[in-house]
Amino acid sequence: MKPLILAATLLCWSQTAQAHPHVFIDTGLEVIFDAQHRATGIRITWSYDDLTSLQIITDKGFDPDFDGNLTAEETTQLNGFDMHWDAGYPGDTYASMAGQPLPLSAPSDWTVGYKDAKILSTHYRSFATPIEITQPLLIQVYDPTLYVAYYLKLGTTLTNAADCTARILLPDLDAARAELDAAIAALPQDAESAYPELGADFAEAMEVTCPPY
Amino acid sequence: MPPILKRTLLTLGAIFALILLVLWLSGGLLALERWVIDAQRAIQNELAAGVRAIKQGQPGALAALLAVCFSYGVLHAAGPGHGKVLIGGYGMGRRVAFWSLASISLFASLAQSLVAVALVYAGVALLGWTRDAAQNVAQDVMAPIGTLAIAAVGLWLAARGLRKVWVQSTTPAPQAANHDHSYDHHDHDHHHDENCGCGHSHGPSLAEIERATSWKDRAALIVGVALRPCSGALFLLILTWQLDIALAGIAGAFAMGLGTAMITVSVAAMAVWAREGALANLPFDRVAQILPWVEVLAGCLITVIALTLLTQTL
Repeated sequence: MKPLILAATLLCWSQTAQAHPHVFIDTGLEVIFDAQHRATGIRITWSYDDLTSLQIITDKGFDPDFDGNLTAEETTQLNGFDMHWDAGYPGDTYASMAGQPLPLSAPSDWTVGYKDAKILSTHYRSFATPIEITQPLLIQVYDPTLYVAYYLKLGTTLTNAADCTARILLPDLDAARAELDAAIAALPQDAESAYPELGADFAEAMEVTCPPY
Repeated sequence: MPPILKRTLLTLGAIFALILLVLWLSGGLLALERWVIDAQRAIQNELAAGVRAIKQGQPGALAALLAVCFSYGVLHAAGPGHGKVLIGGYGMGRRVAFWSLASISLFASLAQSLVAVALVYAGVALLGWTRDAAQNVAQDVMAPIGTLAIAAVGLWLAARGLRKVWVQSTTPAPQAANHDHSYDHHDHDHHHDENCGCGHSHGPSLAEIERATSWKDRAALIVGVALRPCSGALFLLILTWQLDIALAGIAGAFAMGLGTAMITVSVAAMAVWAREGALANLPFDRVAQILPWVEVLAGCLITVIALTLLTQTL
């Protein structure tokens, strides 16, 4: 029995190794409301880590003098580099209310900048219909495969929502780890199944509440 | 060293390993794992800064980059990884001398760097692959081959252990003579077979330690580790190639390998220490009977882990 436990544990560890994040994105979220106090969409800001930024800039052959600045033309060419999504790619931003997922549109209205050796891009995604926040609105940022790690370090803001408040929910990492362990423990019964995609359990999230809540 | 002191020291090793294992099982190392991810992020930024500094011609930039690469290697190996499972499992299961296992660890880590360099310069520089393509080859082609090599080491270990169990059960157990435990780990010129029947009162396992690990074992261990190049090294190599500072990148990849070797050599030491500690506490005449089972167990464990990894990568 003991070797089995050991094997499972080692396995679990090697699994996390595979899921090791290689891209780190500091994220900002702005929820935008309309005149009827309904949430209409989200502006998402992504700031890429230095290495990923350098790789992208180098791939494009930009900033040959390494002064950390792009020309206006280079900036124009870079804009939208991360916005051409494969069909079905959910975009690593997930909104839900009372456990019900709220679909978000494809990205639009994107911007990009390169400053302090980091690429910073923003894009806008709208809700299918304006959302009346009768229950807490939850917006999670994560890559299900954990290859990209998102951190809500660039702030969570509300625009045109005088009475509502926003706060950041950090994941309960111990609980998330327990989930992961449980999911892995369940694997041998179906060895063909893929590694459980539990990025959501490790995700940071923004919670928006409006009165009377 | 007085035998009693030696035995105490060895026992400490076994206890230390047991504590680490318990911590591991109970999730006590979770904090370490989080720390590793945070550190990975910090060091990734330093890597980028190092590359930029070289391009900007800052003095001392190359040395700084190599230092960052070395730390990256240490960090990467300190996280979970196949190399440690393999080296640790092999060291626990097989009575291999520390220096032998340590040199395998070192060569394996450097071979891993070499494989990364070869992959990037054959694939990306000559064949024009993209970074994603190179990473996919590393993940989808090379990693499974490396995993199979690891599984083969495991099977081979288990098979050898079983054969010894079989030999023992068919021949009477040798009597333990006045044997001192303080065998040393140098290569002696012993050439007798484990079941040579030549009148020696050696238990087979003690004679065995003096036989250097076969080249097949060494090769399989090294291949098992080397064929899984780490993406950090691939990223660095591709980036430096694109920026015309290829040599700095290659040096960096090997610095990463040396950093990784630091950890795998420590794991080798830990495995040997713990194994000898456990054995020192067994009655001498039981060692020969128990050792093959340890080998079978370690072999099975390595195989199971390797095959499970394989089903997930395919």
